[in-house]
Amino acid sequence: MRNNHSPAQPGEYKLIELLAVAGAREIQDGEVVFAGTGLPMLAVTLAQKTSAPRASIIYEAGSMDGRPAHLPSSVGDARCEYRASVSSGLLDVFGQLQRGVVDLAFLGGAEIDKYGNVNTTVIGGDYYNPAVRLTGSGGNPDINSLAKRTVFIMVQEKRRFKEQVDYVTSPGWRVKKWPGGEWVTRQEAFGSVFRGGPVAVITSMAVFRFDEETGEMYLDTVHPGVTVEDVKNNVGFDLDVSRCRGETSPPTYHELHLLRNVIDPEGLFLGS
Amino acid sequence: MAKNKRKSIKEAVQLINDGDMITFSGFTIWRRPMAIVYEMVRQRKKNLHLIEVNSGTHGEILIGAGCVKVLETCWIGHELYGKVGANAARKLKSGELIVEDYSHVHMIMRFAAGAMGVPYLPTRASLGTDILNPEYDALGKHGLRDGSNPRIPRRKFEFLTDPFFGEQGDIIHVPAARPNVCIAHVQQVGEEGTVRVYGQRYSDAEAIKAADKVIVVAEEIVPEEVIRQDPTANLIPHYLVDAIVEQPWGAHPTGCFGYYEVDGKFIRDFYSKTKTQEGFDAWAEEWILKVNSFDEYLYKIGFRRLDLLRANSSYKYSTRVKRGA
Repeated sequence: MRNNHSPAQPGEYKLIELLAVAGAREIQDGEVVFAGTGLPMLAVTLAQKTSAPRASIIYEAGSMDGRPAHLPSSVGDARCEYRASVSSGLLDVFGQLQRGVVDLAFLGGAEIDKYGNVNTTVIGGDYYNPAVRLTGSGGNPDINSLAKRTVFIMVQEKRRFKEQVDYVTSPGWRVKKWPGGEWVTRQEAFGSVFRGGPVAVITSMAVFRFDEETGEMYLDTVHPGVTVEDVKNNVGFDLDVSRCRGETSPPTYHELHLLRNVIDPEGLFLGS
Repeated sequence: MAKNKRKSIKEAVQLINDGDMITFSGFTIWRRPMAIVYEMVRQRKKNLHLIEVNSGTHGEILIGAGCVKVLETCWIGHELYGKVGANAARKLKSGELIVEDYSHVHMIMRFAAGAMGVPYLPTRASLGTDILNPEYDALGKHGLRDGSNPRIPRRKFEFLTDPFFGEQGDIIHVPAARPNVCIAHVQQVGEEGTVRVYGQRYSDAEAIKAADKVIVVAEEIVPEEVIRQDPTANLIPHYLVDAIVEQPWGAHPTGCFGYYEVDGKFIRDFYSKTKTQEGFDAWAEEWILKVNSFDEYLYKIGFRRLDLLRANSSYKYSTRVKRGA
């Protein structure tokens, strides 16, 4: 018999709702979560209203554990501060991040490679004369460097899942050690401040994770209606699909109710 | 009696010289000193070197108008209302703009160093990224790190190891930010210059303290004796402030905690119309050059729109403006 906690059927939910739910399920209760604008806000707010009510959210503009009455449109939004524990500024929250208090972070990216190196800076051409200039790093690499776990949420396309990204904005499991530029493991690059790294990539087609030994990405689950073959056709490197566990769990009716009617009734990120 | 720091917007902008290194209050599309930015375009400021923890709509306007030669930051865009800085991208490709990429932590540490009067500070953030790639040192590549400008450091980064605790892994040293001018938009300033910010302070304290000259635009100028009744609520002492300007709505279309919302519709319109230089020029003609003052600009925005953006006094943001799809 169906009830509010039954899984919704394909066609009853939108992709963005599935992604928000997949994100929410990465959060453990009581964790300190650093979240960026957009889908991460949906994911963390949903988790707080379901499985992780004691999770605290830090937004990089300077608010700590706000309990917004209305969904913020950006991390600088006054809405982030509603019933916050503390509201201050960047030096404070990034200092806490560097100090090691952040358990989990949600981030985005335009391109990713098999080690989880992410690009949000330039695509195509060369660095000084790129085909496409993006926003630049923001706090992405800082948060990804210094949190214990990072989850990336991205669009799945072959041109975005590359053997090598055009510019490493945010560090994965194998990185270049500067100023020399030799490839090293993330553990080696970060030394005493190594705390972990990217643990999942949630895309429009699937969820990926990283091998603990090699740092290489593998397919964990495919979204309902997507095949393993579809995913392989949309990845630009040789992808390990041998560990695929099946389908990503769809949202429940209760989660859809929360997303649509409680968290984002204005359609800020869910759309109309 | 302290000297009178009150200025008009026009007079305040005359304190900014061509070629100056400039920074701002705020965060992306929040609490940016837009009234001053528009007047900088009208006064045709040139060769500015923007150094910012992050940039946003204000940076895009100055860059589109050809006021800027260098942008040092970690980010430029319009958040939900425009996904990239299209003017910066265009001017970068045409060679008119030099963009130097740092990360958010790198930039806030640079400003903290500037604010504390030390030449650099250490951080562990963003190791293993191309931000640290010596080939991607834009100011160095353009020959600007030769020491001739004392505000531009000779190196983008320095790599060291921890001499105190023997921690493993590189420590990055980032050079101080030392701007000529910080232009801030805040909620309140006292008649002598004491600054009060409501809501998130972003990186305002570091930006203001790192600069040699500070221009503060406030929603309200209030009696100094009143703002001093609760000094723990104040951010900046009066003696660090050189000029004060009273301009209600002066951060529009960016948002101001407790006063008004981001005007997302206005910013989205700017983003969609200014992807080309012709588009930018037409937009600037309509909203900046044909408009003689910020008051005239507010008339053009219209009372109804401003009223919808006005913050609810309990929530500190507007609950009436339509934000979503």
